[in-house]
Amino acid sequence: MNRPAARPGHGWSMERRIVITGMGSVTPLGLTYEETWRNLLAGKSGIRPIAIFDASTFPTTFAAQVPDFDAARYVKDPASIEKAGRNVRFAMAAGRMALEDAGLLGGPYDPDRFGIYLGSGEGILDFFTLCESIAHGTGPDGKVSAVGFAELGLKRYDPMRELEQEPNMPANHLAAEYGLRGPTFSNLTACAASTQGIGEAADLIRTRRADLMLAGGTHSMIHPLGVTGFNLLTAISTEPKDEPWRASRPFDRDRQGFVLGEGSTIMVLEELEHARARGARIWAEVVGFGTSADAYRMTDIHPEGRGPVAAMRMALESAGIRPDQVDYISAHGTGTTENDKVETLSVKLLFGEHARKVPISSVKSTLGHLIAAAGATELMTCVLAIRDQVLPPTMNLDTPDPECDLDYVPNAARKAKVDVCMSNSFGFGGQNDALVVRRYMP
Amino acid sequence: MDRRIAITGLGVLSPCGIGVGPLADAVRDGRSAVGPVTCFDPALYPSRVAGEIREFDPSAGVRKDQSRYVKKMAKVMARDIQLAVAASNQAILDTGLPLGDPKADEPVLPTVDHTRFGMVFGTGFIPTELDDLAGPVRASFVDGHFSLKGWGAHGISQMFPLWLLKYLPNMHACHTGILWDAQGPSNSLTSSDAGGLLAMDECVRLIRRGTADLMLAGGAESRVTPVLMLRYCLLHRLSETRGDPAAACRPFDLDRTGQVSGEGAAVLVLEERRAAEKRAARIYGEVLGTGTSTVTAGVNACDEDGRGIAAAVRRALADAGVAPGDLGAVVAHGTALPMQDRSEARGLAAALGPAAGQVPVTATKGVTGNLGAAGGLADVAVALVLLRDGRVPPILNCTRPDPEGGLALVTGEPRPLANDLILVTSNAIGGQTAAAVVRLER
Repeated sequence: MNRPAARPGHGWSMERRIVITGMGSVTPLGLTYEETWRNLLAGKSGIRPIAIFDASTFPTTFAAQVPDFDAARYVKDPASIEKAGRNVRFAMAAGRMALEDAGLLGGPYDPDRFGIYLGSGEGILDFFTLCESIAHGTGPDGKVSAVGFAELGLKRYDPMRELEQEPNMPANHLAAEYGLRGPTFSNLTACAASTQGIGEAADLIRTRRADLMLAGGTHSMIHPLGVTGFNLLTAISTEPKDEPWRASRPFDRDRQGFVLGEGSTIMVLEELEHARARGARIWAEVVGFGTSADAYRMTDIHPEGRGPVAAMRMALESAGIRPDQVDYISAHGTGTTENDKVETLSVKLLFGEHARKVPISSVKSTLGHLIAAAGATELMTCVLAIRDQVLPPTMNLDTPDPECDLDYVPNAARKAKVDVCMSNSFGFGGQNDALVVRRYMP
Repeated sequence: MDRRIAITGLGVLSPCGIGVGPLADAVRDGRSAVGPVTCFDPALYPSRVAGEIREFDPSAGVRKDQSRYVKKMAKVMARDIQLAVAASNQAILDTGLPLGDPKADEPVLPTVDHTRFGMVFGTGFIPTELDDLAGPVRASFVDGHFSLKGWGAHGISQMFPLWLLKYLPNMHACHTGILWDAQGPSNSLTSSDAGGLLAMDECVRLIRRGTADLMLAGGAESRVTPVLMLRYCLLHRLSETRGDPAAACRPFDLDRTGQVSGEGAAVLVLEERRAAEKRAARIYGEVLGTGTSTVTAGVNACDEDGRGIAAAVRRALADAGVAPGDLGAVVAHGTALPMQDRSEARGLAAALGPAAGQVPVTATKGVTGNLGAAGGLADVAVALVLLRDGRVPPILNCTRPDPEGGLALVTGEPRPLANDLILVTSNAIGGQTAAAVVRLER
């Protein structure tokens, strides 16, 4: 492919190229990336009634949950994750599968040159203990005294379970499990976290701070306070309760919010020469990254897509790729009224004429919204789209919305020529990130 | 490195007061701001002392329209977020950058390219305030016990609708970005005590690679809450002393008793050096290099030999091109938790090599307690201000210095500063480590 020189100014020189050499993933649609991919292409939904806790009286009663699996299989010492939350369990599975996929499990690698960057949310809050301790401490004035709270809390809380709530725990567990001592970060920019994490992880390799990075995300907000919080913001879909697989409808006129998902996708990012020297299989090259902020409002996206356009533009410029060279866009596509409208507008503003031609789809229609793990999981689908030359569909797109009039690959997977993909993530709070991956060409 | 990083603004809120001045004075004079916990009744808590910020108005010090925004939004900002926003305001105003006139419809910082102005914050995962849940929890009780069915049916509807947004760890950056129209990169790192210096590392890379010209590197956290104090009490991290609170936090002292919870925010304005020089900005110092790594001993442990800390320090020195013997001083993390202090002493000694016995090592937590994600950057700020008079202040409460590592701990009297190169380090138990080398400018 004719690749124009990367625009100076974003520092993404060709001096050190970054490739993906391993992927591991646990999602509501599968316990391996192949299984998830197969189900995505088949249009199968992962959305079911919530089984993790009793949500029967909640406004939203369904979510896309990871099927039961034995996380102990993925760690050396099962006791090390005994008190860990779902996020850590997902990350240990995805991390190990990524290392295995990269041919790095058990080494050899230099642990000082191998880092971690995870978009990572909270562990699972001990909600019962919190609530019972709060009730114990609540006085007639409706205020909670710390004396009363602590009286029960000191007896009931499990110290390690409390520690496991902290959002850097997945990174900490992975570092301990594999002895990785490269640069290690965990970030939480809501729904954009793992796209941003992969972009910054690539920068850590480019700037010679590491040769290898485990990069991606892990999250579960399918817990009582997570569902509560999103219900209060009316951000998540509440209907139809009897056919929940129809509830996530990105770009459809009747969309009414996203559906919570959970899971983890972790990739091995590697400096190209390092990968070549060890004869690694190369999945794709990470060629561009763009990052911006709306600086507009707490939850609303800038109506003219100022932030999303800036992030996508920076991603293309850093890659030295023209808009008309993009074969597929993995949309943020949450299924909220605002997001899908503004994302569509942003793509039109940046891609111009080509916007009508470039297919764009949202796997959130069946996978749900994996929040901090969403971006990494969606990037994984881009990599697999390049491998198989097929695009995953946007399911439930039954009634077109006049404001969402692009080619969303509605309701069925589609064969296509796919060499260059862009993956978008726009976070609650205004962080916008976009990655560009390309078929690897020596 | 052709793009160098100048520090041109400081914003600090600490238990010593508002601004870097009160903190620097207290460190120089050896005055501890640690006292009995007053923001809740700690009677049943094993640890009852803390470094609290006593008087704080989140809307003070900015122009009227910004003050109005903060006042309006204060109810959706947990304390951590309020502290971060206030420290950011302080830091930006400290740069002397010209401010726009909102009445004349000028940009908020007319001489700044707002698309190349961003921020990275180290943040904690903020626990809910107990009072926010008191009413909803009470409404959820069925037969004397908290019930999820009751919560779904009667609790959720009594919650404050924007409850989730009040606690999201990317809201420090969201609100600060809105106030100052920062449309560049925006990230939030949930890496516990190391978050602030990790944020600085990422900001440095963003400026060097040309994505941004102006970045806020920040950290903010309150550890003085009923939930977090309970958590860290249960994990046996906190001092349970009943003696003089001012003597409670004893970094590197043989009689140390554990960490003291603190709260604070620190924000540094990092500016591309040539741009700063061109506008004749006051330059406090230059960030010469940063380095990051992680603890691999386990998620609730410290490396016995401090290797994760040593790795971060070596990388920061290498990035800066500075030899250990050229350092004028080290501001250590020094939390006063025996296992963490020992690990740090060994790690520092290993990284400094033969210079370990000469370079004066100080620490500030005897004065403030542990400011969490704010600690590392508060230490950088205080070093830039205080060490300019050529004296390295002693470690408050370090009266019987631990010989571990053979460090040149500063006790009793200040030591002369032989060189303007300062190393600052942070580490999280079981988690990330970070270090930075800055050069003072007078």
